[in-house]
Amino acid sequence: MKPKFIAAASVLVAGTMLFTACGNSTNSNGSNASNTSSSPSSDGASSESASASPAGTKLRILAGNVGGKTPEENELFAKEITKHTGFDTTLEKPASDYDQKVLTALSSGEKYDLIEISDIATLNEFIKQGVVSDVTDFVTSSSVLSDPAVIPTSEWEQLKDADGKIHGVFSKFQGATMPTVRKDWLDKLNLKEPTTLDELYNVLKAFKEQDPDGNGKPDTYGLTTAGLYDIQGIMSAAGLKARYVVKDGKRTIPYASDAAIPMYEWFAKLSKEGILDPNFITNDGAKMRNLFLTDRVGMITYWDAWVGMLNDLRKQEDPNTTFRAAGIPSIPGPDGTILMRRGDPDFWIIPTNAEHPDAAKKFLEFWNTKEGITLGSLGVEGEDYTLSNGTYTLTEEGKSHNRDHGVPYWYNSTVKPAFEKSPGIQEAQDLATKYATLEVALPGWKDAEKIVTNYALKAMSGQMPAKDAVAAMQKELKAANLIDE
Amino acid sequence: MELKSIKKHYMLYIMMVPIVGYFLLFAYYPLAKGLQISLQDYKLMGDRPYIGLTNYETVLHDPFFWQSLRNTVFIGIGILLFGFFAPLVVALSLNEVFKSWFKKMAQLVLYIPHLLSWVVVGGMWIFFLSPDSGLVNLLLKEIGIAPIHFMADEAWGRWVMIGSATWKDMGYNCILFLAGIVSINPSLYEAARMDGASRWQQARYVTIPQLMNTMKVIFLLNTLGIFRIFDQIFVMSNTAIANKVDVLMMYTFSKGILEIRIGQAAAASFFVIVFTLLLTLMTRKLTRFDEV
Repeated sequence: MKPKFIAAASVLVAGTMLFTACGNSTNSNGSNASNTSSSPSSDGASSESASASPAGTKLRILAGNVGGKTPEENELFAKEITKHTGFDTTLEKPASDYDQKVLTALSSGEKYDLIEISDIATLNEFIKQGVVSDVTDFVTSSSVLSDPAVIPTSEWEQLKDADGKIHGVFSKFQGATMPTVRKDWLDKLNLKEPTTLDELYNVLKAFKEQDPDGNGKPDTYGLTTAGLYDIQGIMSAAGLKARYVVKDGKRTIPYASDAAIPMYEWFAKLSKEGILDPNFITNDGAKMRNLFLTDRVGMITYWDAWVGMLNDLRKQEDPNTTFRAAGIPSIPGPDGTILMRRGDPDFWIIPTNAEHPDAAKKFLEFWNTKEGITLGSLGVEGEDYTLSNGTYTLTEEGKSHNRDHGVPYWYNSTVKPAFEKSPGIQEAQDLATKYATLEVALPGWKDAEKIVTNYALKAMSGQMPAKDAVAAMQKELKAANLIDE
Repeated sequence: MELKSIKKHYMLYIMMVPIVGYFLLFAYYPLAKGLQISLQDYKLMGDRPYIGLTNYETVLHDPFFWQSLRNTVFIGIGILLFGFFAPLVVALSLNEVFKSWFKKMAQLVLYIPHLLSWVVVGGMWIFFLSPDSGLVNLLLKEIGIAPIHFMADEAWGRWVMIGSATWKDMGYNCILFLAGIVSINPSLYEAARMDGASRWQQARYVTIPQLMNTMKVIFLLNTLGIFRIFDQIFVMSNTAIANKVDVLMMYTFSKGILEIRIGQAAAASFFVIVFTLLLTLMTRKLTRFDEV
């Protein structure tokens, strides 16, 4: 009797403790029973008449980037959508951990009419999980969205599944990541933009050793990154594309190929000579940007849109600054090809359990018109900007929001920006448009990424010979059936 | 007889209802639901067919699961041992301090990290351990030791986790030990002094044996926490050391939330329950907990 009691008590205690610890995920999974009977329909469960009057129709949106910068502004933002579309809009914009909140909301049966997603791998997973409506018919029949001037036809390929069906609508134009260099430092040290790996090494070494910030202290680094995230601009020198490349039907990961060995050795040399910021392994995007903005590092690899924002931020701080960030092309590969990383698009999905899919569709059209784009970029009229006789003027609030309320840049070529683009941004976007290509994230990439990143960082920081690191990557990837060769 | 007893103590049973209800709703229902999910091909929407033990098989054949288990055992045992002995030593030392203000101040300072979340403590330690501007490496540099990238070196990763967890909870466990020390009958010390016992002998032959029951409770409670380590790793892990520090709860989180393999995550969490149960039974047996 006693051992049984002990065992039973232990199960209860262990269970209680465990599920207190992981309560979020388990509770949400557990409370999904009521949703099991929802049956997806092919075009978004059109339970609502498309011709229904918007008056009184609700629209519930879950967004990660789109919306106000503060809860108060977010409310104004929702009211502005209501004003333009006529739908009684609720806009929920979690302050953090957006992806987890989306998953929790979906698994607990929450019903949204639109959800913003920023990741193709998540879209593919959501399609498999029966979450996403097929919007092919809607997009092709929409006079707004089918117009190539609004969204170029080729761009829709990004949001198609294997059967060619479209599952989302873009919320903004997504650019590419590229080497971003301190142009003022290059000019000061009489250096030109690097076009080979050797030239890049010399530039980074000069940034480290020649006191480019002029403070008389050896406190600068040539390069920093945020882990392995964005080194595509440099790996391009060996013709290596990030993530998966399918060759003759076989899955390969170029970063785990023998061709990557000299590249990791090159990074290890930078590490050894103190040219590469030793914190690159633990940096996140914000830390990397701060190092660049505070004259600690001469080159980062980052988004095209940030070229302009970095320039603006320094200009706001000091109108007389000489700081000038510039995006440069990746280092060309042996055959002259320049590889750049096109970012996963930001897009809206209509969940299959949406209660007002027609309202969602009307919003998607609105979002790609001039009014929608102005709201998504400049923000709320009267709060972020004023409009007088056709002239836009940013308020102090609007200036601090950097003309980004989820749509810093957009596809619609018929909508011209109300203000000139930030310095350096046009050149960076031109590079992105010319060279950037999407990466292939096959199923299993998240597991593969852990293996590749683990050994690549060891090789780059000099903790492990590059040859051994690549051999270990290949061995583990093959053992886990994550590559074919 | 039993019915009579229930009638007699009916008020106590009524008072229990909210607690029992709480556990039924927030612990046992999710537990049962989690078991159900672990047996399904679970999708966020649509059909969720039962697939038997496939999710459990997938977990058992996943090398990341076994690596996570190894990491959990290493880090968990490390935190268990250091988190037990370090505060015990500090509590015994503080017990020897006569200046009351110093004792109180020391307890306060030691306790503060326990009040902070892992987001704060993790961020602090990542900063302290930075290779170029971190406090620890600046001190190492002063004594002629080359900088160590603690947060990027697998050899250090687990020890950083053990050290920072011990540091964070030192004050809490220390106060539990001090509470135990205070409750020791003063006449035992008086008798020891009359027998000529030194301060060390008083600690060795009076304090420590009298503290044994408190130690057992703290040890058991800390043992229960081994497989629940999550917040710290979530905040402090990075891709360079993940292979050596990602624990079972991180594996469950990663499968369930990041990779949306919810059935697999549920199956992994049931392994965690089994491990915790086994560990708890073992610890009870070893510490002879029932004799407390």
